[in-house]
Amino acid sequence: MAGLAIEAKGLVKSFDGKEAVKGIDIAVPEGSIYGILGPNGAGKTTTLRMLLGIIEPDRGTRTLLGHERPLEAARIVGYLPEERGLYPAMTTKEAIAFMGALRGLPLDVGRKRAEILLRENGLGDYVEKPIKSLSKGMAQTIQLFGTIVHKPKLVVLDEPFSGLDAINQGRLESLIRDEAAAGTTVIFSTHVIHHAERLCERIAIIAGGRIRFEGLVAEARDRLRPQVRLKTRNADGPWRTSLPANARETNGIWQFELPAGGIESLLKGLMDGGAGIEELSIERPGLHDAFVAIAGEAAAREMDKPSPTELGVAA
Amino acid sequence: MMGLFEAAWVIARRDFIATVYSRTFIIFLLMPAFLFGMTYAAGQAGERADREAQQAQVALVADSQVVTALQQARASLVANTSDLSFPRLTAVAPAEHPDVQARALLADESAAYSAVFTGTLDRPILTGPEKIDENVGRRMRLILDQARTATALSNAHISVPSPEFERVLTAEAAGNLHSVRHVMARIVQIVIFTITLLLATMMVTNLIEEKSNKVIEVLAASAPLDSVFLGKLIATLGVSLLGIALWAGILGGLYLFTQVLSNWISVPVAPAIGWPIFIILAFLYFTANFLLLGAIFLSVGAQASSVKEIQTISMPITIAQVMVMLLAGTVVSATGGILPWVAYVFPLSSPLSMLALAVQSESLWPHLLGLAWQFLWVAIFVRVASVMFRHTVMKSGGKISLFPGLRSKKA
Repeated sequence: MAGLAIEAKGLVKSFDGKEAVKGIDIAVPEGSIYGILGPNGAGKTTTLRMLLGIIEPDRGTRTLLGHERPLEAARIVGYLPEERGLYPAMTTKEAIAFMGALRGLPLDVGRKRAEILLRENGLGDYVEKPIKSLSKGMAQTIQLFGTIVHKPKLVVLDEPFSGLDAINQGRLESLIRDEAAAGTTVIFSTHVIHHAERLCERIAIIAGGRIRFEGLVAEARDRLRPQVRLKTRNADGPWRTSLPANARETNGIWQFELPAGGIESLLKGLMDGGAGIEELSIERPGLHDAFVAIAGEAAAREMDKPSPTELGVAA
Repeated sequence: MMGLFEAAWVIARRDFIATVYSRTFIIFLLMPAFLFGMTYAAGQAGERADREAQQAQVALVADSQVVTALQQARASLVANTSDLSFPRLTAVAPAEHPDVQARALLADESAAYSAVFTGTLDRPILTGPEKIDENVGRRMRLILDQARTATALSNAHISVPSPEFERVLTAEAAGNLHSVRHVMARIVQIVIFTITLLLATMMVTNLIEEKSNKVIEVLAASAPLDSVFLGKLIATLGVSLLGIALWAGILGGLYLFTQVLSNWISVPVAPAIGWPIFIILAFLYFTANFLLLGAIFLSVGAQASSVKEIQTISMPITIAQVMVMLLAGTVVSATGGILPWVAYVFPLSSPLSMLALAVQSESLWPHLLGLAWQFLWVAIFVRVASVMFRHTVMKSGGKISLFPGLRSKKA
């Protein structure tokens, strides 16, 4: 494994006496795309804020790009908060340059880079436009440019896909991949599993303020046995004794985990029992299935709900 | 990490430019003129209305010669003072029983007499309640004395013309200088008090906006919150100094080039300590005053999440600030006792008090002590307030520590 861009151990945070984060351990390898998955209120934002030093943990330690005090690494970190914050009267170029200046980038350099970023992304006409004249999605894009204008080594994005349409979500995915390809570590939180599935090498699944899983996406999937889907010509017969106990039938299609004995013994049982196999497939479980298995049905249902940002509610 | 001051500078520069190019700054520039104009107009109108309302009316129930003598006496007195200084005299035709008539006149609410004069110049009778003796009674005695003297001189055919003063002009008189400096000290205190209050409110309102549009989170992630705090203080201080400089430039320009002000102020009065040092001290005391109060406003304001909430929270601070202003005012009044000393020493009233001292006294050394004392408190206030700000603005929780660096190193 490469060196760690972020390492956190036992992070705990309470608000008004209630523990929001209950001892979180995270290890983000340098140059990776890392996703933090969890439903709303799981503790994702609090975790990111603690990692960045915006708020101090009550207990636990964290190291950000080798710095025990995260703000010491501020110049090489980019952060897009869940609640987007820009000065409405600032022009897009100035807003991007200002965010860079906060990270130590000289203003004139920031302005030049801002202009390049805007033009390269088809927003050349908006260079001198004030933020208040932009759509929500466009303002979000401007803030994202402000997050990367100083060419950070680590980019932290809190629910970056919230409020974006499908086209802009696709653009953002490309941008994340480009950043990672350039050697930047990207960590983002999301409650939409397929973004993490498409982008991340490693993930952390958080629910109820605790880490339920931390590791490779493939490892999460591997927690579930492959799923078998079976359709037979004969509805009944001795072949049914060869099905595992967890097999369930819906509309004539049987679904169950691949038995520990493997596919050969299953096939033999089905054929000898006269099932008349019409269709049979073995599918690798998706991240969503893994999430359900790891975090539970309730957490998965919460994941499908829109975030407060998407609802337009300030947290 | 960006240094504390480097990050503070980035934030201060943004806030300064944003404020100076906003409508708020124009309002800030116009506000003093508006406030002082309103205060002056209200004061003038109010004072006149009060005095007019308080000017007593006395009924003269006497024969025409007495009435004429009294009215002429009043007129001659008023000529050298003001009409409002003496009760108005209204002639009423005498009835059969003057004492009964006097009581009836005093009972008549539509006429609203404070007293009734009956009798003659030699046997005057003033009917009315005891409480008028201090005011109406004394003044009626003056009018009566004047009337009697004039009548006696007239009867003796003696004319005593009033001599005109031969004027010997001097540059200044200590008594006059004292009273003008007294007013000057009050004005500088009010100016600094008003500007500080105005700016502190403006700064906190901006902070609330940043909290509501979530900019504060971006700032907090990029720079230490101490820098955010300091940046905002510095920016608002810069805005205020620019505003004051503009005002000073405009007034100075008017004074020097159009002579408009020099016509108003016929005798230029300098503060006791002299203009150059006074200007430097005013700058330093204003800075200290703003940093002390601004730090309090910003740390308290960080707890609020809406402008309405900040109004509620800042109400006690504003009331406390008015009390501090009154405390500082005891220095100008020179009432003696312990209060002026408390005003000099108490950190929040010290800048206003010491500035008043600069107007009224030429000693320089107390200011060196005062400034050292105040900036020590500025350091303490800014430190404590920035810790509170850090603690509350992002609701970061945890224990408040004045020295977080030490705490994390120990950990």
